[in-house]
Amino acid sequence: MKSNTKLGEVVKKDITPYLVFAIPLAFMAIFLIYPMIITLARAFMPAGNKLLFGQFSLSGFTKFRESSMYRKALTNSFIVSLSVTAFTILIGVPMGYFVARVKMPGKNLMLSLGILPIIMPSFVGAFTWVILLGRQGVVRHFLNIILGPLGIEVPTIYGMFGMILCMTLTYYPFVFQLAYGAFASANSLLEEAGMLMGASRWYIFRTITFPLILPSLGAGALLVFVRAIGNFGIPAIIGGDKYVLPTLIYFRVNGFWDLNGAASIAVINVLITALVLYIQKRVINRHEYETISATHSEIKQHEGVAIRIIAIVYCVLVLVISLLPQITIIIMSFFEKWIGLLPEGFTLKHYARIPIYSKKELFNTFYLSILATVLAAILGSLIAYITERKKPKGSALLDLAIMAPFILPGTVVSVSLLSAFSGASVIALGGTYTIIVISYMIRRTPYVYRSVAASLSQLNPSLEEASTIAGANWFYTFRRVSVPLIMPAIIGGSILTLTTLLQELSTTILLYSPKTRTVPIQIYGAVADGKLGEASALSVVLLVVVFVIVYAMNRKQGQSIASSFKMG
Amino acid sequence: MSLSLTYQHVNKIFGEQSKNPVHALKDVSFTIEPGELFCLLGPSGCGKTTLLRSTAGLESITSGQILYGDRDITAIPPFRRNIGMVFQSFALYPHMNIFENVAYGLRVRKTPEAIVKEKVTEVMELVGLTEELKRNPSPTGLSGGQQQRVAIARALVYDPDILLLDEPLANLDAKLRRYMRAEIRRIQKATGITTIFVTHDQEEAMAIGDRLAVLRMGVVEQIGTSNDLYTCPDSAFVSNFIGKMNFFNGTLASPVSATLDNTPITITVKEEKARFAAPPAVGSAVLIGARPEQMEVLTSPAADTIEGVVQIIQHLGQVVRYEVIIDPSISDTPLEIDMPCMIEGVFEQDQVFVRLKEGLSSLFDVEERN
Repeated sequence: MKSNTKLGEVVKKDITPYLVFAIPLAFMAIFLIYPMIITLARAFMPAGNKLLFGQFSLSGFTKFRESSMYRKALTNSFIVSLSVTAFTILIGVPMGYFVARVKMPGKNLMLSLGILPIIMPSFVGAFTWVILLGRQGVVRHFLNIILGPLGIEVPTIYGMFGMILCMTLTYYPFVFQLAYGAFASANSLLEEAGMLMGASRWYIFRTITFPLILPSLGAGALLVFVRAIGNFGIPAIIGGDKYVLPTLIYFRVNGFWDLNGAASIAVINVLITALVLYIQKRVINRHEYETISATHSEIKQHEGVAIRIIAIVYCVLVLVISLLPQITIIIMSFFEKWIGLLPEGFTLKHYARIPIYSKKELFNTFYLSILATVLAAILGSLIAYITERKKPKGSALLDLAIMAPFILPGTVVSVSLLSAFSGASVIALGGTYTIIVISYMIRRTPYVYRSVAASLSQLNPSLEEASTIAGANWFYTFRRVSVPLIMPAIIGGSILTLTTLLQELSTTILLYSPKTRTVPIQIYGAVADGKLGEASALSVVLLVVVFVIVYAMNRKQGQSIASSFKMG
Repeated sequence: MSLSLTYQHVNKIFGEQSKNPVHALKDVSFTIEPGELFCLLGPSGCGKTTLLRSTAGLESITSGQILYGDRDITAIPPFRRNIGMVFQSFALYPHMNIFENVAYGLRVRKTPEAIVKEKVTEVMELVGLTEELKRNPSPTGLSGGQQQRVAIARALVYDPDILLLDEPLANLDAKLRRYMRAEIRRIQKATGITTIFVTHDQEEAMAIGDRLAVLRMGVVEQIGTSNDLYTCPDSAFVSNFIGKMNFFNGTLASPVSATLDNTPITITVKEEKARFAAPPAVGSAVLIGARPEQMEVLTSPAADTIEGVVQIIQHLGQVVRYEVIIDPSISDTPLEIDMPCMIEGVFEQDQVFVRLKEGLSSLFDVEERN
């Protein structure tokens, strides 16, 4: 028999994957890359909101030299983010070590409670600190009674002190959880070997344990820095007259509708983040170690009475202080006012008014978050699948593109979407639900993407190859083999996306219209108007919803939420 | 020169207060001589690693004493015991280069820089890594065998009193393993440090150790030289763990002979080959043991042969191994019989006749064996 059939004729190219992949790629190009380019272009245009191609101007940047407000905002951003990073390390590393290495009761409870500050909207944390440490704050009031006679006056929460305190307590869980993971999973043999060679515990910690957790610590520090420099809610509520870059952007857009000016600030903001990311990568790459060992034995825990007492007191103290906001808003939501030591005037009216005054906001919040989550899950899984499995040329670029929004502050994403799609642009989306859904997708797709990509890289490709060999086409394999296997990762990423979107403030605040107002916007407004009871009740509702979702996920998947926040 | 190492009634119970305590070491008592290379051998879970880790002080023992020379070291913490240990996974520090890895124990002891350099160079020469030390890479850049040498150098550099090796060859490939075990013996003899070598590979243990201890379920079954254990095993378990032993069910006919069940054949053994814990009464059930080379395969029957069917024939080079199935009431596992060369005209599934060569077999108490 003659067999001169060319292989190419036998194997008909399956074009389904290319069609399926084209859609997410087109989406990324139109709604991420294009707005970024426009933003970059606008940054070099004269102030205003007009797209003036050909009129090159550096006025947006020279302001950082000329205007003292700009200069201060830049300095403040640096001071706040760097101090927050330093303080979260100072608080989180010892706590991680204690929980991982000291024998104590309730470790799981501590780990769970240690997550709460990150799942609560940070601006809610901020306004509860107003209740506690504001001009008439409870704690301040109390401390002043004690310290007043000594001539010490406790500073109010407004300003740098408040921003740093508030962000530190919000973000320390990142460092705590990552440090805990690193200390708990370290290879105990490396430490035992040191002990046999005659090294004391402290010497081993200094020369072996600590150097080996540095990469994890670097990742945690970066996460904190990126979030601190992009945080809008906290400085907006308690920054007082101290502007930082995100509030400065808001001020340019909301006060002057100066999109070009805002774009310049956004570029500076992103540059700083990118620079820090670069430095961190450089440092980490130099310190990333292959572990030679595979066998792990259980790590010895400290059992000394003194260290156990110190560890328990320390952890409980940190947890109580960082959970004060949660406790405070629950109390506040049932009272008329809280000025002085005790809250006054028990009432349920804050809750009673929610169904009447917040119906639209509640609907919007859930509608926008769920829609964006579903779309982000599909988009993120598909792109993860492309980059992991098909390894197309330039997949590193795709990876970079999809991860970019992860480090972009929410206000920057809004500015870029407004730059491209507001007013009389080709695709006009100003004030619509669509622009908010798109902004949510752009910002949160990385969560699903990361989670799915990690899961896929652990999945043996031969599982899929076996299906292909058995005669299944690409789509059948994807549907029946790949998707079921990566489902836990998709769900994990989606839950994280949903919970963060339900409390989204920094993007929404520049994009919402009366029609598309969400609950976080309403809370922000209530705080601005001084209606703390109303804001508390709404926050409690939000908090309960988020907590229930997270709790349900943890029960079902038993995975730590902090691990989902990790970035590569 | 190192001193001796003595275990006195050592017991280790994991989870003593829990519902299912595990008795990992049961009344272990023996002495390792100064400068001896001693092997702890046993199947996984027999307690050999626990005994090693207890010696190092990484586990605390439940009762008993461990003596170095005359000194009781039971309560001394691991970092004061002056012990060198090579881990199965090597446990090299990935964030240090190989010089710093080896120097670690000296740095801990605050040794002056000049002496550190001198000692590291000296020990690296001993393990044969002089060239690598010049490049001084990170241990991750070395091959398995080189990492192994670094791990040994690191354990030797501060002149430990005792050297512990925990399955140090398990992560190496077969060829390198055979080479490294000769190297380890050379290095150990050059330093004269009392050494314990843990392994589950009997061939490795027999090749490397001056003496061996076979452990089973936390109990020391037998201690002796490779030759003692191979030629005069104390129990059916040891005999089948150190080399292969075929077992036959039999009945004791006299203190030194037994009749194979369901046959008229009587096997007589040499006096020292009747390995009973206490001599059983004539007529009790016993096990008759014969190693593969102590049997032969014949093509025609005789008065003292047993009928069987060849299952598998394997040519192993110096011998040909025949796997033969016989009446399960005599022996329920296939026999392994080594012949010096192929037997003409015998193929798999053929009927053959097997015989226990005269005067070579052993007798054992009946026990569960594996």
